[in-house]
Amino acid sequence: MKMTVRRQLATIAPAVLALALAGVATQPAFAFKLGMAVGGEAASNWQKPQGDVAHAIATKMGWDYVELSNNLDPAVATKNADIFIQDKVDAVIQFNGRAEVNPVLAAKYAAAHIPVVTYDIAQKGFYFVGIDNLAAGIAGGEALGKIAKDKWNCDVDLVLSSEGAGAGIVNEWRTGGMRTGLQHICPDIPKDKYVSFEGSGQVSVAAPAARDVLAAHPDAKKILVVGLNDAGVLGAVQAAEQLGRADDIIAWGQDGAFITGDNVDPHLAGSVLYFLEGYAVYAIKDVIGPIAEGKAPPMKDDAGDPASRVKPCPVSAEQAKKIPGIEERVKQLLAAPAGTTEYDLFCPKS
Amino acid sequence: MTDVATTTPETTLSRGAAFRANLPAGWGTAAVVAGAWVLLIIVSGIHRADFLSHQTVLAISFTMAIVGVLAVAQALVGISGGILDLSQPTGLIMSAAIVAWLLERNVPTAVVVVAGILVGAVWGFANATIVVVAKLNPIIVTLATNFIGGAVMFLVYQNAQAPLNSSFSAFGRGYFLGLPNIWWPMVILILVVGYFLPRTRYGRHMIAVGGNRFAAQTRGISLKKTRFAVFSIAGAITGGAGVLFACSNGPFAPTAGATFQLPVIASVILAGCSLAGGRGSIWLILLSVGFLSTVPTSLVFFGLNSNWQQVFQGMILIVAVSIDGWRARRLLK
Amino acid sequence: MTTGTSSLIVSGLDRHRLRDIATGSVTSIAVALVIVVVVGLSAIGPDFLSASNITIIGSFVAIPMLVAAFAGFALLAGVVDLSIGSMLGLSSNVCAWLMVAGWPLWAAIPVALVACLICGAINATAVVIFGADTIAATLGMLVALRGITFIISGSVGMIPAFDPNFFAFINLTAGPLPVIFLISLALIALAAIIVMRTRIGRHVQAVGGDDRAASRAGISVTGVRFVALLLSALGAGIGGVLYVGQLGSASNYTGTGLEFQVYAAMMIGGYSILRGGVGNPLGAALGLLVVAGTSNIIDVKAISPYLTNAIIGLLLLAAVLLDRLRGGDAFE
Repeated sequence: MKMTVRRQLATIAPAVLALALAGVATQPAFAFKLGMAVGGEAASNWQKPQGDVAHAIATKMGWDYVELSNNLDPAVATKNADIFIQDKVDAVIQFNGRAEVNPVLAAKYAAAHIPVVTYDIAQKGFYFVGIDNLAAGIAGGEALGKIAKDKWNCDVDLVLSSEGAGAGIVNEWRTGGMRTGLQHICPDIPKDKYVSFEGSGQVSVAAPAARDVLAAHPDAKKILVVGLNDAGVLGAVQAAEQLGRADDIIAWGQDGAFITGDNVDPHLAGSVLYFLEGYAVYAIKDVIGPIAEGKAPPMKDDAGDPASRVKPCPVSAEQAKKIPGIEERVKQLLAAPAGTTEYDLFCPKS
Repeated sequence: MTDVATTTPETTLSRGAAFRANLPAGWGTAAVVAGAWVLLIIVSGIHRADFLSHQTVLAISFTMAIVGVLAVAQALVGISGGILDLSQPTGLIMSAAIVAWLLERNVPTAVVVVAGILVGAVWGFANATIVVVAKLNPIIVTLATNFIGGAVMFLVYQNAQAPLNSSFSAFGRGYFLGLPNIWWPMVILILVVGYFLPRTRYGRHMIAVGGNRFAAQTRGISLKKTRFAVFSIAGAITGGAGVLFACSNGPFAPTAGATFQLPVIASVILAGCSLAGGRGSIWLILLSVGFLSTVPTSLVFFGLNSNWQQVFQGMILIVAVSIDGWRARRLLK
Repeated sequence: MTTGTSSLIVSGLDRHRLRDIATGSVTSIAVALVIVVVVGLSAIGPDFLSASNITIIGSFVAIPMLVAAFAGFALLAGVVDLSIGSMLGLSSNVCAWLMVAGWPLWAAIPVALVACLICGAINATAVVIFGADTIAATLGMLVALRGITFIISGSVGMIPAFDPNFFAFINLTAGPLPVIFLISLALIALAAIIVMRTRIGRHVQAVGGDDRAASRAGISVTGVRFVALLLSALGAGIGGVLYVGQLGSASNYTGTGLEFQVYAAMMIGGYSILRGGVGNPLGAALGLLVVAGTSNIIDVKAISPYLTNAIIGLLLLAAVLLDRLRGGDAFE
């Protein structure tokens, strides 16, 4: 056995040495190099396009582009930062769903003097590009409240909140924000009519949880649904349909994932589109582009005073009928002149 | 080299043990699970009388439907000595995605249902091929294929949905005799498979292979053929679950199957299917899935949030298998 | 049977087994690592083995390696502990929660470790005293603890707990190698010595290989397995605390999937989660390095991140297949 090991190592060692010496040396990079860490959340349909759009725009600008996935894992996000730093990228865009590790990332990137754009979740020292999730939540809640006021004069039996604790602070902003917005329009809905359940932002998790909540509130007839995203609220709507309680249920979503196309559930009254897949336009136009030209913009790392503000686009189901699905949107976005945002292209002007 | 230890009980069984040994297999587990379920219902009903309502029954039975079908497939794999099939989430969603895709192209519903089941069978067959040809452990194989399959699916699509206005989806939302449409196929499947498993030659072969594969081989049973058969049938059943899933769920991502994995394994274990193979009752799955599906609903009625569901479900599993282990030890004494 | 005869039998058995382990699966996984290095060098160039890249791989692998060093004893003893990921999550959240509440580190850490040991004791009671199936029982613990972790991490789902000294310690490097990596490596080496050279190690392997024979030879199967599960819990606890230092926080997600990362690497390295008695801590370390090295190649070459999972799955299959072809135990 020992002989075999020695023999094995003896044959491989020279090969290793040879390759090391031959060394596929990397060319010195003169082109501007952009690193992008996508969120890696498998259950959302905008994660992959978010990277694809950034890639396309970077290529158009003549830059090098490197993409990694944070895999919704804080240890992986940390490792990705190390890799980008090692790779000597000139700038980084990240979507980090595990915000708890952002301080560590900020320390690393600051030490390496690499500017970072972060989407939607603010971190001191990172350029903030994105929507104000809290404002988007409130906008959605107010839109839903207006419908409840018109139809039922705010006489609501139950307000379901489809939470997604895994999204951390973003869940607080969006779902909590929707409740706040609803309270702006319908302040007299008593507190005990607000019930939360954990939907994890997925239909397959939200539906069973909502079924149980609806069963525990058998007398609720007029029901409103808010939540972390379209999938989360759809789960509750589906639960109501399964229990035969869908006659008077109205839901308003977030992120617009399921408000477009042919298969929109009739009880989804609307959603708030962020056009997440097109964020790169904002990031590159307002931050990365100037950095590449040597004119780095002043640091703006707060959601209230962002480096680039993405405007949320609340849409009713009716309005959403005219908005194309995500694949078509990406195509049109990339064909449009540089700097055009999806908000410009698709948000109904009304 | 494992030596097949032969245990011959040298002491005669006590009267109590003899009585217990003569009852139908798995009665002990059935009694415990049924008892726990009834207790849970009573306690919840006392806490809130409106727990005992049609709404609760609907909520629980919708949850039971998919888990129950998947549990049958998992139990078949476990009983036949395949230990665990960890590739079910991928098989489920693959079948559901193809169903959704075909329906979008106006393929007739009957064809779509058959296609969904076939896709599951093919997935199971593929897994079996790796297990048999490479002689690898099914846990590792299905763990790996689940990962690979999931990653590949994610590259192909991010969200799929069966058309809302189709008769297919209407079936998924409808009821029969007061219970969801999708609940009935699950019950029929459990009754049929549970009936035929110990009563057909192939069923008995599966159980024999699970119990002691060397003895089974000596009797002339082909291990390879049994493995292929079990994984393909279990795969077909998982495909059927995919069909039910597609008709009763809205949009789903490739990862949507993951949420079923732990409840299914827990149900199978609670139904007395030992991971070592050779024993377990399919009919008991009805009880264990029912019990495990009732727990989250009860907890909501008690006002506990869903994190507590996980805590309770985990503790129930630990307690259940501890009781199971204790009884198995006492039987040996 | 006299103790003299039984110890002869045990030592006779294990000398053969020692040779197997040292020259068997550890060799093939070492070869696999060499292959990974070769592929890395040819795909990336000498930068693959640059100081910073080694630091990256080392930092990522250090804590899972430490957990594997402890959990390996449970695998060897034939009682796989699937709850290590959730225990790690519990430990980091308890530690972070106490830190935020004002406790000093030296007080918070023991509490987190004790919490894990209590869970380990519950596992051990169920599996060893009651005879519960180890996969099922530890699976139940996995689920239950994840629920408790969600509760501790609160509605925001995370507890920021950045301690600059702790962070600095975790990121200390000696040359290109992170100090925590060296510590984990030292623990692996210690575990390997225990397994290969001490009587305790032989007893653990005997218990895992054939518990009836071990019992007849006078080894306390209950005692060995109980301690093994406690060790597994301790390892998870230490890992959780270290993650608080490395990530400056704890969250409801911490530790999710760790059991897969660790056990897949250990299976690649020669352990079996269904059979005790096989495996060597060195194999675990090498397995982790193979997976981390492969991920690193994928990362640095920026191959589609979506393929990472698929490649790891293929790697797992390839590794067990290789082990089988080399003569490892076949599944019928």
